[in-house]
Amino acid sequence: MSTDAPDPLLTSLLAAVDAAPDDVPLRLHVAELLLARGRGAEALQHCSRALTAAPGDPPARGLLRRGTAALAAPQSPQSRPPAVPPAAPAAGGTERPPARPDFDWRQAEEDVADVPQLEPAFVEEAGDPVVEDVLHAAPTVRLADVGGMEQVKQRLELSFLGPMRNPEMAKAFGKGLAGGLLLYGPPGCGKTFLARAVAGELGAGFSEVGISDVLDMWMGRSERNLAEIFRVARRKAPHVLFLDEIDALGQKRSHLTHSAGLRNVVNQLLTEMDSLSGKNDGVFVLGATNHPWDIDSALRRPGRFDRMLLVLPPDEPAREAILRHNLHKRPIEGIDLGKLVKATDGYSGADLAHLCDTAAERALADSVRTGRVRPLTTKDVLTAAREVQPSTGPWFATARNVALFGNSDGSYDELAAYLKKNRKL
Amino acid sequence: MSEEAGGREHAHLDEVGEAARRAEHLRAVGRLDDAERVARAGLTADPDDPRLLGALSAVLLNAQRHEEGLAAADAAVAALPDGERGHRLRALHLSMLGRHEEAVQAGYRCVTLLPEEPAAATGYARTLQRAGRLGDALRVAQRVVELAPDAADSHLLLADIASDMPDPRSRAVARRAYEQTLRLDPENAAARHDLAVLDAVGHRPARALRGLIEAGRMDPAEPTTIRTVAAVLWQLSWRLRIWLLVATIGQIAAAQTVTGSRIAAAVVLAASAGLGLLTLRDLPRQALPVVRGAIRTDRALTATYLALAYCVLVYVLILVSGFGFMAVTVWVVLIGLGWLALIIRIFRRRR
Repeated sequence: MSTDAPDPLLTSLLAAVDAAPDDVPLRLHVAELLLARGRGAEALQHCSRALTAAPGDPPARGLLRRGTAALAAPQSPQSRPPAVPPAAPAAGGTERPPARPDFDWRQAEEDVADVPQLEPAFVEEAGDPVVEDVLHAAPTVRLADVGGMEQVKQRLELSFLGPMRNPEMAKAFGKGLAGGLLLYGPPGCGKTFLARAVAGELGAGFSEVGISDVLDMWMGRSERNLAEIFRVARRKAPHVLFLDEIDALGQKRSHLTHSAGLRNVVNQLLTEMDSLSGKNDGVFVLGATNHPWDIDSALRRPGRFDRMLLVLPPDEPAREAILRHNLHKRPIEGIDLGKLVKATDGYSGADLAHLCDTAAERALADSVRTGRVRPLTTKDVLTAAREVQPSTGPWFATARNVALFGNSDGSYDELAAYLKKNRKL
Repeated sequence: MSEEAGGREHAHLDEVGEAARRAEHLRAVGRLDDAERVARAGLTADPDDPRLLGALSAVLLNAQRHEEGLAAADAAVAALPDGERGHRLRALHLSMLGRHEEAVQAGYRCVTLLPEEPAAATGYARTLQRAGRLGDALRVAQRVVELAPDAADSHLLLADIASDMPDPRSRAVARRAYEQTLRLDPENAAARHDLAVLDAVGHRPARALRGLIEAGRMDPAEPTTIRTVAAVLWQLSWRLRIWLLVATIGQIAAAQTVTGSRIAAAVVLAASAGLGLLTLRDLPRQALPVVRGAIRTDRALTATYLALAYCVLVYVLILVSGFGFMAVTVWVVLIGLGWLALIIRIFRRRR
């Protein structure tokens, strides 16, 4: 603790914080003042509690960075002479910071143990450039930016985001935070966008990892790439690691009898996912696939991808939002969105975008022919809808077989219920 | 060659090798578009590299684009005339294009180049099989088993070829080979499926259904499994029809008195239930939704089973009312079903 003289302003503010412990702005203000008065360790405690109350809060993270940097910065001998001579470095070990009687390092380490780690100060600390390619800042999209799909959002909130936001409550109910979430469904239905929105909700950094980020011709390099990606994600916690097309990276090992290299990649992925259930809090693994049935069953065991969420073709509100988004920058006239929404049941988001492009091409061709801009009409889009068929059909044909043969453990109950509801089973 | 030029050459070979390996990896995990892109990108730097041409041809084989795949295989052979893989890919593409004579020649070249290589012999056996030379294909497949006795694929190849042969002895060979495949690779869905087909051909529909449900669990995305289940259900429906035809003769013979009709109907219903239980007793619990799903897949099959259910209902009505001549309607339904089956068979054969 600090040896500074009592500060009436700080004393009253600290009393206010005690009275309102969940007031994040107040706590940050106090932390700011403490930092300004050189009481960095106390400031860090407040930052840590502010981040517990509001995970990912940008001002809290900024202040935490400044506080940690201030603590880590070498003290100028002129400003703070050591009260005792620095301890000799341990034999063969790394140099330790000089002991200071006014600072309890052990306590400070405990205080910051549960706060997110900082990004490296220098590029060369960042690790393998291949790994850095996949790392991105926290996405700005939130679940509210996803049009419609209320059921999916609700399930995400209940099964994943809720426990993540309320770790103590989850713990009280015996629900661990380890394990990943697997999004599956027909192609082009917004799994990647949803994953970004989840990262945005958690206020966490986001890495999108595809098979090309991992595969390497040299024996052992693919596994190393994968390990490195997870290592960096842990260092950057809180972080969402999004493994797109996970069926490629985590394919059933029985299908890979001729490729020892790829089998090793699956084994490495299993190891990394296992370590998530241990000490690596703050790394959330999301996977997305069109073919969950091709994933090695070991990847779906508890602690790995033990939660599955079906992402279906957009519902009516989602289709309306997608159509609106795809049409609003084009010359349009008298578009009846209700009619279009009804005519596009079963279309994926990608299909809807293609539909709008096809309709636009038709209007453009007319405009070129006549030399006058002819706006897009409902009729153009409906005519295009007769040409562009939903691409989700083959996926549902396969999904039907899976619901019939592969649902003995109830993994695909949600899918089976949807197929039954839509008379596809 | 100077040291610097040698280094450049080495780096170039590494790059080309990396592209080829990457394409092969992507193909192995089913990313055919990405694999093709990588192979073609590599070929822009070195259009004559046999590894890249082979990788591209293999990708196109998986994508069933045989004209383009054959062109890539031809180029691979031109770049490396003694390379076995180029000839093998060429043989497989030619075979898929129906050019069997050339395919067999190319396949033979493979086994001449690498007589001890199981992959070369496998390619040759496949080309012979598609060319209709099943006896020769079987001998080559047996050689593949000798070369790689511990590989499930070798036994599967032998089983596949043997099961195509009409004689019962070959069918026994096929069964043993399928069983050996499953011993080596218990999750081999193809072997489990094909063994079930052998059971169906051997008029053991319940055993076939059980096998098909297992095969479906191993590879639920495989579309042929549900179609085979439907085929087995057709087979079962034939049995039911024949049984009902015979039972109806007895029922009409006993239709003179109310008691006789009732007794005959009770016997028919009890025997039907007994036969049904005997046939389906070993089926897993999962069978019911699968059977229901398969029946719904095929409208003619749905109509057939609805009609058979009607026939059973007629027998229940006879039991209740004692009016035995109602069984005549069963005959009418069975004749209708016979016609339906005939039309469906002609229509599907033409298709």
